[in-house]
Amino acid sequence: MAPTPPTWRLDNESVGEPGSSLHGVTGHEPTFLPTIDPVHEHDDQPGAPPTDLKGRPFKLPVDSEHKAKTVRIWTIHRPHMLAFHLSWFSFMVCFFSTFAAPPLMPVIRENLNLDKIDIGNAGVASVAGAVVSRVLMGTICDLLGPRFGASSLMLITAPAVFCMSLVTDPTGFVLVRFFIGFCLATFVSCQFWMSSMFNTKVVGIANGTAAGWGNMGGGIVQLVMPGVFHIIRHNIGSNDFTAWRIAFFIPGVIQVFVGIVVLIFGQDLPDGNYSELKRKGDKVNDSFKKVFLYAVTNYRMYIFALTYGYCFGVELTIDNIIAQYFYDRFDLNLTTAGTVAASFGLMNLFSRPLGGVLSDLAAARWGMRGRLWCSWTIQTLGGISCIILGVVGQLGPAIVVLLLFSFFVQAACGTTFGIIPFISRRSLGIISGATGAGGNVGAVVTQAIFFLNSSYPTERGILYMGIMIVCCTLPVCFVYFPQWGSMFCGPSKSVTEADYYKSEWNKDEQSRGLHKASMKFAENAKSERGSQHGSIAAKEGLEDANTKGETAV
Amino acid sequence: MRMLIATGAILLCALATLAEGGVLLSSLQRSLVLDSQIQNQLPQPGIAMAKAGDDHLVIRWSLNTTLQQTQADVDAIYNKVNLKLCYTPVSQTNRGWRKTNDNLTKDKSCGKAIVTQKYVDAAGNSTVWRIPKDVPGAVYFVRAYVLNANGTQIAYGQTTNANRTTNLIAIEPISGRHASIDVAAAIFSAFSIGSLLFFLVLESMKTMKSGSSK
Repeated sequence: MAPTPPTWRLDNESVGEPGSSLHGVTGHEPTFLPTIDPVHEHDDQPGAPPTDLKGRPFKLPVDSEHKAKTVRIWTIHRPHMLAFHLSWFSFMVCFFSTFAAPPLMPVIRENLNLDKIDIGNAGVASVAGAVVSRVLMGTICDLLGPRFGASSLMLITAPAVFCMSLVTDPTGFVLVRFFIGFCLATFVSCQFWMSSMFNTKVVGIANGTAAGWGNMGGGIVQLVMPGVFHIIRHNIGSNDFTAWRIAFFIPGVIQVFVGIVVLIFGQDLPDGNYSELKRKGDKVNDSFKKVFLYAVTNYRMYIFALTYGYCFGVELTIDNIIAQYFYDRFDLNLTTAGTVAASFGLMNLFSRPLGGVLSDLAAARWGMRGRLWCSWTIQTLGGISCIILGVVGQLGPAIVVLLLFSFFVQAACGTTFGIIPFISRRSLGIISGATGAGGNVGAVVTQAIFFLNSSYPTERGILYMGIMIVCCTLPVCFVYFPQWGSMFCGPSKSVTEADYYKSEWNKDEQSRGLHKASMKFAENAKSERGSQHGSIAAKEGLEDANTKGETAV
Repeated sequence: MRMLIATGAILLCALATLAEGGVLLSSLQRSLVLDSQIQNQLPQPGIAMAKAGDDHLVIRWSLNTTLQQTQADVDAIYNKVNLKLCYTPVSQTNRGWRKTNDNLTKDKSCGKAIVTQKYVDAAGNSTVWRIPKDVPGAVYFVRAYVLNANGTQIAYGQTTNANRTTNLIAIEPISGRHASIDVAAAIFSAFSIGSLLFFLVLESMKTMKSGSSK
């Protein structure tokens, strides 16, 4: 017997609504009881193992939405772990394609007669496209599913990668890098897919690991492209100017291959693909105007968009310039410069997840104030190590500073997404998307200001970038949550989490009960008070949610 | 005692390399007269044009007889002649990786080595050099460094004046593209878009089928 369709659904959960695509991005979204209708219906027989629509049992423990409750990284169990691996790998391949040109720049700049301004423009173009495509990808995932979102983006931008082999002048180079850069929007599909497949208790680790391993693509490419180039030059015997063009077929072919693999083996949701599932139940559409309004009137969104621009944006900038920097300043050959540059991106293997872990640890002890201090400290240390990198003139110390710098900058990305979910409950999707886009804007601006100018050398640009990181991280000091405080002020005694999240709904909406989801989140958010208050309040909150949930059936 | 000698020798070598590393172009005497021409091309006013991979450069050099040097001095010290292709200022603007530096170990403006030959004190010193395919498109001149037995530069000559504005050669590079690369890129791109369309059509057919069978 089919369950009766409920009369209301979670706010922001309606398919296609702005904000719904980034649900679960940060892993701190509340866990609700099974009485709330998920996207699809399923008939779980009591006592029997949960099965998908086709009757196959799941290999991982799943919750009521059939989302996995654990992440078993060393397996490829369908559909959850397979989705995890397809997701991070497709994001990594896109990073690989976007940053395939920088390690070969010393050869490309001679072939295409590029000067510093052309190279700078191309670097800006490579990250500018994703500012728009990341915002659009959210809606595409909502409508077509992450499987089609990721694979269609990869298959559409693959021709741009192949066109790189045909470029003969600076204009063509800038245009091709611009179009290839669109595929960085797979970040959104990656995070969306993880939040569809993994329970909220583990989605934070799944997302952080997937994003970190995806970012590693920017490091791996610095090793692979020079290696491929040398093989083509020596073993096949092509000259320089032909060899780099042939080398570009590697990212292109991999991108097409992975795009097709995602289409064949990927699955949008634990029970099946979007097109296979029927959707039931009425849905309450949240108003786009309201969600947008509460996002743009929240000053914290702008502050974190700026700070993410100076941790993730700086990471993108360094991916673009660092190989050439080591090649020119320290007279390394192409392969060695690529290896050094790769070490920067490869730190993502653990830096970004570790940043999230540090933020969680700080919150456990000191609450949101701990998270803010953690984020400010780590990012400022990143800025200081960037300043040192611009000053250091010997190879050995420069590599050491580069590694330190990479750890701090990538951990800062992790800490930022530890704070984002608490800024707003109603407008979480838009705020997360704006922060992500802010990262790319930071990359565009930084490259345009410091690395297009030929009047001073690259090391001075790195020094100025470090100073800018420190300055643009200062606004974190001004982030104030009335219920938790800020870096320098304690919380206001009269405001609670419930008040803060309720303030996003007007009286009319509250009377219709639309704010109830935010209230449950507010209960769970009491953990951000820190160890003195958090544990007891969180326990109480969960008990309340349980009792409220049972009575809502 | 042996340790002392060894340490002393190492120190001396270190000092020697330090000293050797800092040869300044401005300290060298311009004692060679250099001339370069594109083979099978008549000399004409303005910048000569050559094609990478196709044309040859004929470079001739001889000792500058106006300078006060005894033949014996020259024979004793001059060991090798090192010819290089160097960038002119117009090809160096906004390109820090081609920067000129008076210190020859830090100088990046003469990146392309042509040939190194033994110094022979006779008339008719010349070489014919086929311009290789990996020479970037730029405006060049030729410079010759005279090396002593240790490989240190002790004198030089160049085909152009001190401001590097006369007797220049513009080299037209190869594009590096081949018809096979063009064809392969077109095929792979078509395959990429084609497979996406294929799966989209497949998906919509499945939806239509399941919709009609309800």
